[in-house]
Amino acid sequence: MNDNKLKAKDFITVGIFTAIIFAVEFLCGMLGLIHPYIVASYVIMIPLVGAIPMMLFYTKIEKFGMLTLMSILIAIIMFVAGMGWLGAPLIIISGVVADLIAKKGGYKSFKSTVISYGVFCLWICANYFPVIVTAKSYRQSLLDGGYSAEYCDNLFRAINSKTIAFLLILCFVFGMIGAFLGKAVVKKHFEKAGIV
Amino acid sequence: MRPITLDPRTKLAMIFGVSFIVMVNAVTPLEWAIRIAITMIPILLMISEGKYAAAFRFSLLYGIALLLLKCFLSSESTGFLSAMLLGYCGIIAQFMPAMITAWYVIRTTKIGEFMSAMQKMHVPDGIAVSLAVVMRFFPTLKEEYSAISDAMRMRGIAFGGGKVSKMIEYRMIPLLFSCVSIGEELSAAAVTRGLGAPMKRTSPYELRLKAADWIIFGIFALFVGLFVAVKYLR
Repeated sequence: MNDNKLKAKDFITVGIFTAIIFAVEFLCGMLGLIHPYIVASYVIMIPLVGAIPMMLFYTKIEKFGMLTLMSILIAIIMFVAGMGWLGAPLIIISGVVADLIAKKGGYKSFKSTVISYGVFCLWICANYFPVIVTAKSYRQSLLDGGYSAEYCDNLFRAINSKTIAFLLILCFVFGMIGAFLGKAVVKKHFEKAGIV
Repeated sequence: MRPITLDPRTKLAMIFGVSFIVMVNAVTPLEWAIRIAITMIPILLMISEGKYAAAFRFSLLYGIALLLLKCFLSSESTGFLSAMLLGYCGIIAQFMPAMITAWYVIRTTKIGEFMSAMQKMHVPDGIAVSLAVVMRFFPTLKEEYSAISDAMRMRGIAFGGGKVSKMIEYRMIPLLFSCVSIGEELSAAAVTRGLGAPMKRTSPYELRLKAADWIIFGIFALFVGLFVAVKYLR
């Protein structure tokens, strides 16, 4: 039992990869300024790009709790960055579920890693929660915040309570595709170099 | 001017206060005034720490964004350029206060202080250690990234032959390599200093809430209270 407890080294690994994932998320988020449809395409971009560091991260996971911890950290950072607390439950739940799935495969089986990463990617949809849950007041706050009415209308056409299910599925699917991609990249670069 | 050193706990309270106020939309002039006032606090603190350039840069950026937003643009403006400009100004006005505060906190808090504050607040070790690493890592990430960009520019492959996948690959892979090795060094250093030992850790930093901390706490409580009162108890 004692062997399964997380050590200082694991915490540091989690911290580093959280920082990288957040940097990826932040850079993709900047692209969203250009057009609202790009905001909707986060569900494709972030799973694909984020897959590379995440697959490297998965090779370092050996114990339960690292993915959970990561999701908690992401929730905290999202709150500090001004994204609100509405998405926090979704982020943490997807982290725990992803952790459980990966645990089932013993953190080694590639099949469970793929599904687990797909589930983990659902946290991205948490960014949309303020848009859906408080659609009216969020629209007003965007307008007051200086976005143009055009931007808002486009945003709400792309993201509403009807499309969210679709976006969640997209997240999951592209998470799995990203897992294969990330695995290939990790194999190409890191296994050859003997890092993993 | 003597630097005002704040307790890390006060700084955390500042972050939470600012991100709360920034998250709720401001409509009336009074609410905007509170928002701007609360942004001024970290800027003033930066000046007291002697970081004039950063303070000036942040306030200039924030000021310009606010000015553009208030004077020249409205929700009726359409067209690509104004929409882009509006988007940028909106983002800056929206997130700048939180970013300024976060920047101030990250730059002025020593990791030792942060850990000792976390221990005093009885935050579980796992969250404290990982958060400390995240905090410490953002500047490192930026440094590594600019080093990689420099190297690529020197070799003339900055745009990866125009392919998006190559652009991502050329930047991401070296970054990950250096991050992994930095992580290994970091954990070796941390273990040497007794992180993860079963004993309770001691710290050379003695944290006490001083007068300045209470004043900041008071100001923030006042602002948040005022904001909530104006917003919800009309």
